[in-house]
Amino acid sequence: MITKRSARLRHVLVGLVGAVAIAAGSVAAQAANKELKIGFVGVTSGPAAAWGISNVRSMQARAAWINETGGVKIGGTTYDVNIVTFDDQKDPKRAIAGMEKMAQEGIHYVVGPNVDDGAAAVRPVAERNGIIYFPYAFPKALYTKPASNAVLGMVANYQSGPAIYTYLKDKKGVKTVAFIAANESDPLSQRDGGVAAAKALGLKVVSDSVTYQVDTTDFTPVITPVIKTRPDLLVLSGVAPANAPQIIRSARELGFQGLISTETAQDATVLREGAGSLADGFISVGGASTPEIASDAMKEFVARYTKMFGEYNDESNTKVYALEYILETLKANPAAMNDVEAFKTTMDTFSAPNPYMKGDAVLKYVGTSSFGQRRQVAVPLVVNEYRDGKFETLFVAEVD
Amino acid sequence: MEQIIANGLYLGAQYALIALGLTLIFALMNVLNFAHGQLYVIGGFVTYTIYGQLGLPYVVALAATAISLALLGGIIEKFLFRPVIRRSSREESTMLLAAGIAFLLDAIILLVFGEKQRGVPKILNGVLNLDFRLIMPYDRILICGLAIFFITAFILYMQYSKTGRALRALAQDRTAAYLMGVDVERYSMIGFALGAMLAGIVGGLLVTITGVNLGMGGPTSIKAFMMVMIGGAGVISGAIAGGLILGMMESVGLSVFSEYGDVTYLVIFATLMVFLAIRPQGLMGKPWG
Amino acid sequence: MGRTGRFLGVGIFLVAVLGLVPWLIEATGRWDFYYTLTSVALLSIASAGVWLTFYIGRINIGQGAYALAGGYVSAILITKYDVSFWLTVPLAGLFCAVLSVFIGLPILRLRGVYFAMVTLVLTEVARLTALALPITNGAKGIASIPLPSAVTVGGITLIPDFAELANVKLAFYYVAVVLMIACYAGLYRLVNSRLGHLCRSLQQNEELAASIGVNVTYLRIVAYAISSFLGGIGGAIFISISQSVYPSSFQVADSINFMLNCFLGGLGYVFGPMLGTLVLYFGWDLLFEAGRFQLLIYASLLIFLMVALPNGLLSLRLPARWRRGG
Repeated sequence: MITKRSARLRHVLVGLVGAVAIAAGSVAAQAANKELKIGFVGVTSGPAAAWGISNVRSMQARAAWINETGGVKIGGTTYDVNIVTFDDQKDPKRAIAGMEKMAQEGIHYVVGPNVDDGAAAVRPVAERNGIIYFPYAFPKALYTKPASNAVLGMVANYQSGPAIYTYLKDKKGVKTVAFIAANESDPLSQRDGGVAAAKALGLKVVSDSVTYQVDTTDFTPVITPVIKTRPDLLVLSGVAPANAPQIIRSARELGFQGLISTETAQDATVLREGAGSLADGFISVGGASTPEIASDAMKEFVARYTKMFGEYNDESNTKVYALEYILETLKANPAAMNDVEAFKTTMDTFSAPNPYMKGDAVLKYVGTSSFGQRRQVAVPLVVNEYRDGKFETLFVAEVD
Repeated sequence: MEQIIANGLYLGAQYALIALGLTLIFALMNVLNFAHGQLYVIGGFVTYTIYGQLGLPYVVALAATAISLALLGGIIEKFLFRPVIRRSSREESTMLLAAGIAFLLDAIILLVFGEKQRGVPKILNGVLNLDFRLIMPYDRILICGLAIFFITAFILYMQYSKTGRALRALAQDRTAAYLMGVDVERYSMIGFALGAMLAGIVGGLLVTITGVNLGMGGPTSIKAFMMVMIGGAGVISGAIAGGLILGMMESVGLSVFSEYGDVTYLVIFATLMVFLAIRPQGLMGKPWG
Repeated sequence: MGRTGRFLGVGIFLVAVLGLVPWLIEATGRWDFYYTLTSVALLSIASAGVWLTFYIGRINIGQGAYALAGGYVSAILITKYDVSFWLTVPLAGLFCAVLSVFIGLPILRLRGVYFAMVTLVLTEVARLTALALPITNGAKGIASIPLPSAVTVGGITLIPDFAELANVKLAFYYVAVVLMIACYAGLYRLVNSRLGHLCRSLQQNEELAASIGVNVTYLRIVAYAISSFLGGIGGAIFISISQSVYPSSFQVADSINFMLNCFLGGLGYVFGPMLGTLVLYFGWDLLFEAGRFQLLIYASLLIFLMVALPNGLLSLRLPARWRRGG
């Protein structure tokens, strides 16, 4: 009886979903070009939604732009890019389901997941199904052998941290540093990496044990003991864009005079609304949308994104690259369309101009010094300073 | 020291106001409202839209928030909770409904207000600084004052108004209140609306300090559950006490345990569990609430 | 429906999950459903535990804590002490059962929302403990856990090495489904035993039960320990699928979902949590096509189901003899 009942309910559900799928399919069917599916598995609902949404929207905006201008030509065939998205709700178990779904769709290139646990959990599925994925997670085990299918989609904090600290030590006379992190895997790992980097540079770490719950609504009690140690630099390790303005505001209102920095990407509007002028001087890592370095392509990307979704998110700057890398590498070696081993071979030699940055920056795969193999996209390490509602570029560096 | 107490008081006042609405709904209908935090978030976004985006005065925004949340609460009670409570054989079943509503509100918040953290211009500038021993921005002091004002107003309303008396009768004994001629359905709806309004008001107050984002809902509900549990479920004085105690515990704990990092919250939660094991009905709750 | 009818029902179910489903998946090529259904089976094992605590009249929102603990026990035993995965599963369950006795002794005195809220906090305590302890490797978690190894008795391979299997997904599916069947068969047996009747008396009135000589404390602890045991083995197997465990592998949201599975299926039915898990978990997966409206549709359906069937899906015109409790 029960089997029948559940089967019947399942039929109803399947039917409902089927109707939705057909409705969606009839829209997509109008396209004339062949379809190239690129996957996204990440968090687009719940508390961390901002990470995944800024990520998936940058992919969707770029795909829409490509399709509008005739598609992407790979090995003599022109494709329309279709972004297939899966919301893992920041749950590693769902992330596995998402990766399975991508394999089912015949997708070989996936962007995401956005966090450490998800990236580790999807590894067996990705390797078994021949999927190359571009996580935004920093654990080195994901990218060093025997792992081979993950490509770090951004600059890791153990790479950006030392660059920022060196700059601040030399240019701003920073001698003491304090770290604060949310008590979650990603921020805590990033804090430990940051502490090690700061110590290696000869900086004095005056506080590295204060943590906060991600759902903290008032940071004043959290930050009070840190401020008492009077550091020259306060590092917000792996801070979520939602928390950054609140921490900055609490710290400044408590009379903190030193510098504040983070190694993650932030959004200028969020900082302006949440902390106003108190956020002036806040140092974070950005992409290439600051006027000093943005190319015309970047400006057009921002304009299209804004038009498509109503509002730009500066976090998307750092996340525009993964899709570009996938497409450009496929162009360089069309055999990689269905063969990730060919993709991996091409990664060692691949090079293409970086469309988003002024000057002669190139897209290439790096990471030999951190991971022993080329498993990271080379994106410019752009360090920004927030001032009067927008970011200004402090300096640009390269990761090898 | 002064700083720690002031932080605790400020936290406690806002926590208490959140817990009040939750405990009211629980007292009246035995519903553990998982969507309470989402109501708080919606309150914050409504204030953000009216005060931050449209630029209307803050007071107008807060009033509009209170009204719209009360309406939302009334609708949720009338069309969702009431039919389910009437027909379910075990009253805990409403938890699934409450969770479903929480998911739904989360989805709506994401679609309507977006994924970004939002904030509004400061309502008051300047910082009170007593010799660096006590630092408190003026807007925090104002919000803390407003929270205390709303708590007092709520208690007076419950104590002296006709509606308040009816609600209290309902909370004490639903059947008896019904037999005494209290319109149970009407007052359940009013009570739920009042609870939702309180959640919305906290959202409207706090958006000026901490801003608001879609992820705050669930965790806020859970925190509110903890406060209600400390004070005793369904008891108004208990909710206030619970809020203040949790606020103080966080403030003191974060200071004392700052050296040990991750353990602060572990200690707070463990203390809570031990406390409840010793006193199962919270500070002021009826046994077996 | 008599005895034969019941046997027939069970028979159909067994044929369906063990034969029909894999055949359908092969035929339609929907390989991704293996993982989804494996998840459903594992999560419904943990949900069965939650259901059992409901059965003694306790709202349990803390199963995630035991699933996490079970996962860590298995991961640590495999990676640090080289214990076979197959042995770690029962060990993880036992560990959780023993742990739950210590936790349960004080907190099972609580009732109603108090118990519910304490267990909710328990999940967060488990996460923070996993972050703080050195043996769990803190924030970095434990990754690259090897797949289940072979089991050989006297030269005969009972279970092959999973790393050498062509279709690991199918293997995990069978492991999960067989365990699920065993778990629910046990649960059904338990509920219909003398112990089960006593448990139901607790649900209705503890004082009355105590007054007629039922050892209430003992019963509660036993039920809670069984519940936690199930949570532990569910977590342990999940860990071997993801081959990694993090403090966030099972979190508050999972605990709430376990509880919702029971509600949705129906608290009065032994097989309620299984159906509830299937609909909740599978439903989310199917709605994947809906893109950014996924959560909206999912939540609306959930509310609709609850308003239409407040006593759970199985309350839909089922013969009275299938009902248990409530």
